[in-house]
Amino acid sequence: MAVIETGAGAHATHPEHRQARTAWGLAAPALALMVLILLVPVVVAGVLSFSNYSLGNPGFDWVGAQNYERLFTRSTYEKMFIATLTYVVTVVPISVGLGLGAAMLVHSLGRIGDIYKTIYFLPVMATLLAMAIAWEFMLHPTIGMVNRTLALACGSWLEAIPFFASGCADGFPLWLGDRDYAIWVVCFIGIWQGFGFNMVLYLAGLTSVHRELYHAAEMDGAKSAWERFRLVTWPALGPTTVFVVTISCIRAFQVFDTIEAFWPQGGGPNKSAYVMMFAIFEKGVQQNLIGIGSAITMLFLVFVMFLTLIQRWLVERKVHYG
Amino acid sequence: MTRDWWKHLVLILGAIIVLAPFYMMVSYSFKSPGEIDRGEGGFFGRQEMMIDPRCVALRQPDRADIEAARDRFPGQDDAGVQAALLAETEAACSMRPAVFNYTKAFTEAPLIRYLMNGVIVTVSIFLIQIVVALPAAYALAKLKFWGREAVFGLVLFCLLIPVHAIALPLYIMLAKLGLTNTYAALVVPWTISVFGIFLMRQFFMTVPDDLIDAARMDGMSEFAIVWRVMLPTAIPALLAFAIFSIVAHWNDYFWPRIVVTGNRDLFTPPLGLREFKGDGDGSFFGPMMATATVIVTPLIVAFLIAQRRFIEGITLSGMK
Repeated sequence: MAVIETGAGAHATHPEHRQARTAWGLAAPALALMVLILLVPVVVAGVLSFSNYSLGNPGFDWVGAQNYERLFTRSTYEKMFIATLTYVVTVVPISVGLGLGAAMLVHSLGRIGDIYKTIYFLPVMATLLAMAIAWEFMLHPTIGMVNRTLALACGSWLEAIPFFASGCADGFPLWLGDRDYAIWVVCFIGIWQGFGFNMVLYLAGLTSVHRELYHAAEMDGAKSAWERFRLVTWPALGPTTVFVVTISCIRAFQVFDTIEAFWPQGGGPNKSAYVMMFAIFEKGVQQNLIGIGSAITMLFLVFVMFLTLIQRWLVERKVHYG
Repeated sequence: MTRDWWKHLVLILGAIIVLAPFYMMVSYSFKSPGEIDRGEGGFFGRQEMMIDPRCVALRQPDRADIEAARDRFPGQDDAGVQAALLAETEAACSMRPAVFNYTKAFTEAPLIRYLMNGVIVTVSIFLIQIVVALPAAYALAKLKFWGREAVFGLVLFCLLIPVHAIALPLYIMLAKLGLTNTYAALVVPWTISVFGIFLMRQFFMTVPDDLIDAARMDGMSEFAIVWRVMLPTAIPALLAFAIFSIVAHWNDYFWPRIVVTGNRDLFTPPLGLREFKGDGDGSFFGPMMATATVIVTPLIVAFLIAQRRFIEGITLSGMK
């Protein structure tokens, strides 16, 4: 691309050089901030994860891999991994599945479906902390809507289900106070909040699937709706699915608001909902144990980068075109 | 339509579950504590006059009040005057539950201040993100310079780093600079949006070179081209990015929770709500739900008005 010089005063410097200088000038602020705000902290976290540094103390010692060793040996962190993985492994498939299902239903309804799209997208927009508090009231053991609704089933045929039978006899669960239920409630809210987002991504994917493909599949003998889905829709949505799964995973790893809203002091009954993000906050900020907090941070980054790299690899390797 | 009834059935059931907490939040924000406790009153509650016990406790008539009021109630003994005064106070302290909840929400905590903070923080984050990202995106898309590939590679790499994950080192850096509990702490980590650079760069790639060359012929500097040629063409992409950025930061709870400790003047709306929860006893459910409603409403209303744009904007967010 030729740069056209204007005006009489041709500068001593070569125009290409001048453009390069301007370009660096334009990119410099962004570059500086990227280094300072994103790259330096990663390095800092990496370095501190080998120390017992804490804010306000003048000195610190190098402790080698001790922080990481703790992460893999202490039962608290075992609970952290279990809670985080439970959340990710539950929320990601279900919110992706519900997102896809809702998208297919909404898509098949045409314009009338838009009302459902609007409704399902509301939780994505709403402040999660506020909604967590609303859910806390819903799940309140005595005045909550959930247990009251469940109690309506008492005395009906539903009492044949063991859950209802024991609920009607001894009261329905405490939900947030019960270590058998706590993490599942958090998962449920995570799904409630996130599947609308996946639905919208899938809807975007569905509109780009050509109608002719369905006709072609029908001619080739794909008679049932399931066959058409398996042969046309699902492969066509391949790239969307990879994208949706990755984003859902990254978001699921970052769950924090609900946990902190429900259990400000400690990540759930018996640490059953002690997720990584909460652990970073509790160890690093509240207890000022920056070494161990940094080690969790590093592990977290490794997970997320690994996921994103897998996504890129998948997208580049097998993009389907129906 | 009749063929699709089962689809509607499934979707309506889903919609009920999705809407339930919203319904409850708004409904509780209208009801009196008694109605909340007993779970009655429908959506709006009965809106019977209720007496605010805290208000009465604060205005309990004392000796001096009784002395002063004696003239107004001739022929009554002290107890009678006191009873009459108490009745007056109760009358002054009684109001409709909905009014009670919402006035409490705004008076019990400086909710207006929190909302203002929310606006200040989200708007400054967005403006700084644009000022930083737009020139960089232009340079990466339209200018040839040695090292461009390296810079773009760096952008792609930084897309992998979720800012929330590196909160701890950022917090340490800000603490070392003495910046915790300032607006700067709330804004600084978000000034760089790698995603914004990436999005804008992709958008600028589609802008024809001729447009830029023409601007150069007119004697515009590269800097002027960014703001007077590229910015106007990028409005649709910027709008999408604005929605993504504002929604993310209005709703963000994690980062403010870390860098704002105790200083109520800096609380963003979610932090304010959290504090409300901290000191509210059981009778404060109504005002708390009113606060939650006030915080959630602006974005929801904006969303309902401009759905398509919002969905585009949020969908683009991909790499949050």
